[in-house]
Amino acid sequence: MAGSMKAVKLRIKSVQSTMQITKAMQLVAASKLRKAKERADNSKPYLETMLATLTDIANGNNDFRSIYTKSGNDRWLYVVIAGDRGLAGGYNSNLFKFVEAEIKDKNNVTVLPIGKKSVEFFKHRNVPILTEEYAEVAKVNISDCFQVAKLICGSYGGDGFGHVFLCYTNFVSMLSQVPTSTSLLPLSDLKSENLEKDGKAKDLILYEPDSETVFNEIVPEYLAGILYSSINISYASELAARRTAMEAATDNAEEMIDNLSLYYNRARQASITQEITEIVAGAES
Amino acid sequence: MSTSYHLQVVSLDGLEFEGEVQKILLRTIDGDVEILARHTNYCTAIGMGTAKVTMDDGQERKAACIGGMLSVMNGEVRVLPTTWEWSEDIDVDRAKAAKAKAEEALKNQQLDKETRIRAEAKLYRALVRIGSSGQESKYN
Repeated sequence: MAGSMKAVKLRIKSVQSTMQITKAMQLVAASKLRKAKERADNSKPYLETMLATLTDIANGNNDFRSIYTKSGNDRWLYVVIAGDRGLAGGYNSNLFKFVEAEIKDKNNVTVLPIGKKSVEFFKHRNVPILTEEYAEVAKVNISDCFQVAKLICGSYGGDGFGHVFLCYTNFVSMLSQVPTSTSLLPLSDLKSENLEKDGKAKDLILYEPDSETVFNEIVPEYLAGILYSSINISYASELAARRTAMEAATDNAEEMIDNLSLYYNRARQASITQEITEIVAGAES
Repeated sequence: MSTSYHLQVVSLDGLEFEGEVQKILLRTIDGDVEILARHTNYCTAIGMGTAKVTMDDGQERKAACIGGMLSVMNGEVRVLPTTWEWSEDIDVDRAKAAKAKAEEALKNQQLDKETRIRAEAKLYRALVRIGSSGQESKYN
């Protein structure tokens, strides 16, 4: 009995120290989350308005002089924004599962991973990687986004990529984060699917000075802006996922400690009772 | 006939403005453009300059507006700049410091092309900020 009591005591200790870690991680994630959520909330209107505007333009556009508006060849580039670290519940694995399903039936896929976990995952899968320079998602700032945008624009069109997609985790609420993908280039991919084919006439758009110049100017900024805001949103999602996961882990640890202490106290009580019985039996004889 | 229209200004820092305005004047890559009500569908890229927004009540507000795009779609006007700062929010001292720093950097003749372009862009941004703050006479 004494042996098992010692084992239980050790186990309680080990669970306690694990709980300390998960609790600390939960608190850190919660405090970082407040700031990240603010940034994500600020980024959301830009992301939504930008995509809505470009969808409108894609719907109305019938000017295909710019390489950004033509539908391209069959090479796909996926920008995948994941986290730097694990222990964030299903945050990373949900996103990767989602991306896997997306790229399953495409042959010529290259990935631009953002975040350490993303780099690791695609390296392991032997998916061609465009650059590993942006491995740390927490350190990516707005000028990095402009560089990524430049890089994408440089490798887009001609013999380069024909389609560019973005996969990130949308921050729906503190408790729910959903992997999402959106098409970035060409702009014709943004067309709403349920647009009537020959119903109403297209709204003509006036481009000044001309569509090619306008798109050449707009696209890098649009990419950088979208990337920056989706990184902000993903980062908030990561922290929220981590907070929820760590909260659950702490609760589980608490429950385990409760059960173990109960068991320990029972064992202790049993050993005391046994000793008394032995003493009483010895005195009687 | 209405003379005002709905304008949305959304920058990377969030929703900057939404409401009814009479007109907006801003500098595009092709020169200054003013949008009045009932403009045709239109799309252009924004350069660097001061934007002037005339509100529904005739009051005018100024802002530093850099980069991004302007789109008019079926009467809905959206301005999506990279940076948008209302004149009253501009930190003139910071812009002045940035201007001095950029000018200092540009004095160096041995700059490589990339750094030079960056320093020049920084200088322009600082100048636009100072110019949009409504205190230009003090610093020119």
